[in-house]
Amino acid sequence: MGPARRLSALEQDVWAVFRQATKHDPHVYVGDVHASDPEMALLLAKEQYARRDPCVNLWVVRYSQIFATDYGDADMFRPATDRSFRFGGSHRDQQRVYREAGRRRDDEE
Amino acid sequence: MSDHTHTEDPERLAEFEARVAAGEQVETGEWMPGEYRQEALRLIQMHANSEIMGAMPEREWIPRAPTLSRKMALTAKVQDEVGHAQLLYRVAETLGRSRVQMIADLIEGRSKFHNVFHYPAETWADVAVIQVFVDGAAMQTQGALRSSSYAPYARVMKRICYEEDFHIRLGLDVYRTLADGTPRQRAMLQDAITRWWVPLLHFFGMPDRVSPHTEKMLRWRLKVKSNEELRQQFLRKFVPIIQEAGFTVPDPALRWDEASQRYAYAEPDWEELKRVGRNQGPKSAERLALRQDYHRRHRWVREAVERWGLLAA
Repeated sequence: MGPARRLSALEQDVWAVFRQATKHDPHVYVGDVHASDPEMALLLAKEQYARRDPCVNLWVVRYSQIFATDYGDADMFRPATDRSFRFGGSHRDQQRVYREAGRRRDDEE
Repeated sequence: MSDHTHTEDPERLAEFEARVAAGEQVETGEWMPGEYRQEALRLIQMHANSEIMGAMPEREWIPRAPTLSRKMALTAKVQDEVGHAQLLYRVAETLGRSRVQMIADLIEGRSKFHNVFHYPAETWADVAVIQVFVDGAAMQTQGALRSSSYAPYARVMKRICYEEDFHIRLGLDVYRTLADGTPRQRAMLQDAITRWWVPLLHFFGMPDRVSPHTEKMLRWRLKVKSNEELRQQFLRKFVPIIQEAGFTVPDPALRWDEASQRYAYAEPDWEELKRVGRNQGPKSAERLALRQDYHRRHRWVREAVERWGLLAA
């Protein structure tokens, strides 16, 4: 077999590595490795990204399988209208009720 | 560079420069001026080359390390350095040059690596000096580059600095052991400090001149601090490590200037830095030849991996 179709050194053989520190943590993207198959990618990922940092599990994903939003479209993550109701801190009335209930309890004790 | 004049859409360029000036970072795939891409690639490729070539002087000492624990720590450090090269070649790749091409550029002498890795590591004390002072010098540059405008580079730099910090601590342990040792060990350490002094001053590059190029690199945050700023930062931290252990800096002109908060030092021979930069340092040819030899010998591995990849795909 001659040197047939050349794998694109820029993308085809690049894998994204996700490391899970403990079972309580999500897998987090930590960097890339070059490899020709998943086993090699996992082996290199272990050597490169789990030498010091804690790890219970690794994922490797071919770059060609990753779909992403565009940084140019980052505006779409900014809410168009006030969405403060999504955050606990905005529920002032609820907090006031709790605080007052707490004070009353303290007074009674 | 000068041989490559890009004409950019002035509006786009102004928008890019405004973003970078505001502290924003550039990601892979985003628009960037052609010259920015080229300068970032040159910088990161040289950094990657330096990590892989930097493993070589220390690697020579693995079989001769004085104790088993030193041997294990040194082996781990060399692995870290080669790992840094892998991370950095990957970042450079995102700017459009393949890793295969960059390795060829390096071993065929078309791209540069840092001056300090062109010098021999003659004794075990050289290992101490490399780990404390060479890594210490690199840490000044790399620490600053954590705020580089090219985001993938800045991210990798965080990881690299985290590991370089271990190396300096390991180096200080080796350094102090020799400094607290016999007169012969102390003489060996002084000799290494004396030989490495000029290459260390050279490490940060030529003195600052007000050049439009440097100005642009700083404006684009591909450089974060000037050469002289980094050299002074290094001297402030590392001259005391030499002097407090009772060793001498081989420069009678070296003195601390309280008023300017800077060290005055004798200008080293900048021609030597230029020669070394052209791969004409004392160990340049030998180390490149060793890299070429390994590259040839490992060819069958690369071919096997590539073919396996085609079958597995």
